[in-house]
Amino acid sequence: MFAGPIIFGFILGFILGSRIRDDIFPPSSYLVVILALIIVAWNLGPFPYYTDLPVATGFVAAAAGIMAGRILLGR
Amino acid sequence: MSTILKIFAFPAAIFIMCLGILTVLGGHITPGGGFQGGAMVAAGFIFCAVVYGIERSPFQFSHEFMSAMESIGALGYVGLGLCGLLFSGFFLYNLGVDLYGVSQAVSGFFNYPDPTNAGIIPYLNILVGLKVMVGLSAIVITFMEFRGEEVTE
Repeated sequence: MFAGPIIFGFILGFILGSRIRDDIFPPSSYLVVILALIIVAWNLGPFPYYTDLPVATGFVAAAAGIMAGRILLGR
Repeated sequence: MSTILKIFAFPAAIFIMCLGILTVLGGHITPGGGFQGGAMVAAGFIFCAVVYGIERSPFQFSHEFMSAMESIGALGYVGLGLCGLLFSGFFLYNLGVDLYGVSQAVSGFFNYPDPTNAGIIPYLNILVGLKVMVGLSAIVITFMEFRGEEVTE
């Protein structure tokens, strides 16, 4: 796997996820959003020359970073 | 704002922000880049700020956070430029690609790990993206928090 978009997508997503101060949406709604994000990443497909995975790895890493930031540093 | 918008806006903002980050990360091989991706991330934040109001928005950008991100973006950009000046003699020289063969000792350190061998260009995109994201968000926060001043004569 190509590490560049995975590492930096996760870092940028983590920065944004750490700023979430949400008291409206329950955890189950985040589960639905994660599933939808994975489907969107599959349909987006990888960048040109990125032949490692059939999904947009930067998009998936950003989504994972947002969720991780929300869980670890968000409220 | 209406209940439908309040249910829709936050999940949609997450999608918009992920697409913005993808645009930042693909700036060296696809249309887009730091400015466009940063503007998309800021659009996600602005969407939430408009729908929920700046005080109750799920994304809260504090002054310290914006100051730190803006500083990281600007100083990182200048730092990469100075690294080029230090190792090759040219400001913002692409150390990772090293077309002139003058900085082979540090070439591997500055190369972005992907199949296109783009050197420092993705790093510059990421730093510009951070700076634009915070810059556009700060403008909207300033406008929305402005209460106006009474005109006294």
